[in-house]
Amino acid sequence: MSVTSWLVSKVKNWQIKREMGYPYAESRPDKQIAYVFDINKCIACQTCSVACKTTWTSGKGQEVMFWNNVETKPYGGYPLRWDLNILKRLNGQSWDKDGTYTGKTVFEAAPQGERVLGWLPREEDYSYPNIGEDECSEIVERGDFFSGIHKVWMFYLARICNHCTYPACLAACPRKAIYKRKEDGIVLIDQSRCRGYRECVRACPYKKTFFNLVTRISEKCIGCYPLIEKGEQPRCVTTCIGKIRLQGFLSKPDSPRKDNPIDFLVYYKKVALPLYPQFGLEPNVYYIPPVHVPREFLYQMFGPGVDNAIETYRNAKNDKELLAVFMLFGSTNRIIHSFKVEREYALGFDNRGELLARVPFNEPVYIRPYFDKKNGTYRHNIP
Amino acid sequence: MLRRGILLLLIGVLSFIGYSYAQQNSIRSVKVKEVPLRDVESSIWEKAPVTRVKLLPQNMIPPFLDKISIPYIDVRSVHNGEWIAFLLEWKDETRDAVVDVDKFTDQVAIQLPLDPKNLPAFMMGNKNGRVQIIHWKAIWQDDIEKGYRDVQTLHPNYWVDLYFFPERPIYAEGEFPQEPSVMHFKTPEAINYMPGIYARNPVAILDRKEPVEEAMAEGFGTFTTQPKQNARGWGRWKNGSWKVIIARPLVSDDVNDAPIYEKTFVAFAVWNGSDKNVGARKQYAPWVELFVER
Repeated sequence: MSVTSWLVSKVKNWQIKREMGYPYAESRPDKQIAYVFDINKCIACQTCSVACKTTWTSGKGQEVMFWNNVETKPYGGYPLRWDLNILKRLNGQSWDKDGTYTGKTVFEAAPQGERVLGWLPREEDYSYPNIGEDECSEIVERGDFFSGIHKVWMFYLARICNHCTYPACLAACPRKAIYKRKEDGIVLIDQSRCRGYRECVRACPYKKTFFNLVTRISEKCIGCYPLIEKGEQPRCVTTCIGKIRLQGFLSKPDSPRKDNPIDFLVYYKKVALPLYPQFGLEPNVYYIPPVHVPREFLYQMFGPGVDNAIETYRNAKNDKELLAVFMLFGSTNRIIHSFKVEREYALGFDNRGELLARVPFNEPVYIRPYFDKKNGTYRHNIP
Repeated sequence: MLRRGILLLLIGVLSFIGYSYAQQNSIRSVKVKEVPLRDVESSIWEKAPVTRVKLLPQNMIPPFLDKISIPYIDVRSVHNGEWIAFLLEWKDETRDAVVDVDKFTDQVAIQLPLDPKNLPAFMMGNKNGRVQIIHWKAIWQDDIEKGYRDVQTLHPNYWVDLYFFPERPIYAEGEFPQEPSVMHFKTPEAINYMPGIYARNPVAILDRKEPVEEAMAEGFGTFTTQPKQNARGWGRWKNGSWKVIIARPLVSDDVNDAPIYEKTFVAFAVWNGSDKNVGARKQYAPWVELFVER
């Protein structure tokens, strides 16, 4: 059997603006779980990592398993070199001027006898989840620190399973033990069907399926589906102290809804971009790229939409609707289905149109008298 | 033209040799008084003739095995009217009996057709052409003989600050926690955090009784554990060779078991852990005739 005959279906991948080969037919879920992460606001406090770990992976055999991790770019990566290893194997690919990907996806680049172009990490690769943490791209020259803006850079990349439209883990599983839920697009490994072949671990370019050496089968982020089913956002989102995350549902690419905050950021404003769209999985965690990082690095990581996204982001102060969505990040633990601007407030609603959050564009200022007569004490006004 | 004729003749002769070799390649199950179910060195095995079965790389459906690392297995079979057993022997320099993300266990499996008259496809059977598979793994052998192969088996110095399901307060009174992870992992609270075990996955069994699993299949990707497990097995690795016994009742009342007639077929698969063999990445032997002495 040749490799091309393995990819029996032609599916539409809007992120690379073309059709691509995939082993199964296009079957978009009714609703697609999606996230927007604003990288510019992440401080790598790891509250998300801890929230996820204590909720889901504090068991035996899950010791070095992080469904959610935050790594420092350019040098960090968990598991070790997850991105470099697959980029090297793809060996340099290209995009057209109009934003069409002309290179090969991990499905199209699969060698003879493999379902997906992949690689299997070593166990040591999971031993350094914080490698490269807080390391800059290069050494800060003497005196630069005090002289204003310096040229070195770094940023924090928070990562979870992308609940891809075309998951490589699902494509690689010879047992069909991985499935994508029709109701919300969450990708799950059937814990009673998996036999621990690690084909998914080998195939996922983001390395977000993990092998449990005690149960001897693989596990992955479950998108906190018990919360999603109750209309609540996942743990990693609601615990984020920097309020960098918003979870919602992305509409199908041919029927976006402007009042859906996720659609608004991804389809309308194009301010949030997929991570390594060139892999061809149509990942559903969208990142607002960091504004101070060299563009070449960002083009490789987020594709050709980077310049537009950064320009839009920098102009947010003049765009009330965009600002409104940004302010709804971290404003409620419920899933926001629609938003609107009402005078000086950003409003978020659930799927029945009930108000979930009401955030003022400008926080009101209260000035308290220096001496509090009622309590007989002096007060300082702290912003 | 003449040269091409000679070439074709040569191909013909070679394929005839190959064909006759395959014909000789049958297994005779010899009737004995007692079937050794655990003793791989038993002298009873010498009563049965050895059949050397050539192995091929699985390269029909991705993922493939590129190259075989085990060229053949030697097979003997005995039965006593009650049990039928196979002694499978192959060379493997490394004894691989632990798993981690990049570590794989040695394994062997036999496959029997439910209907030998309408022989199913040799690779896992086909739709309505069901096969019975009995699968042995080195890690299961060690689970039974040495205790469950655990995190500490692979990483004796592995340290975990805290698991959230302690059976008793191990950090109290300044006491140094002794093997905190091993102490607790069979409690219901611990199993809540071991989804494979909680879901009763047949791969994730903490108290396995036999190092074999009985399954059925009707094609690629359909391997299904049988509800009733009545097969036996035992394996030993010595001086760079595995000797593994796989046994089952000769006459079984389990509808999912293959009936064993005087003449039937058997197929094999072998996995080399150090060569990262797993799942479809295996070496196999298609159907070999099996004659069961009455």
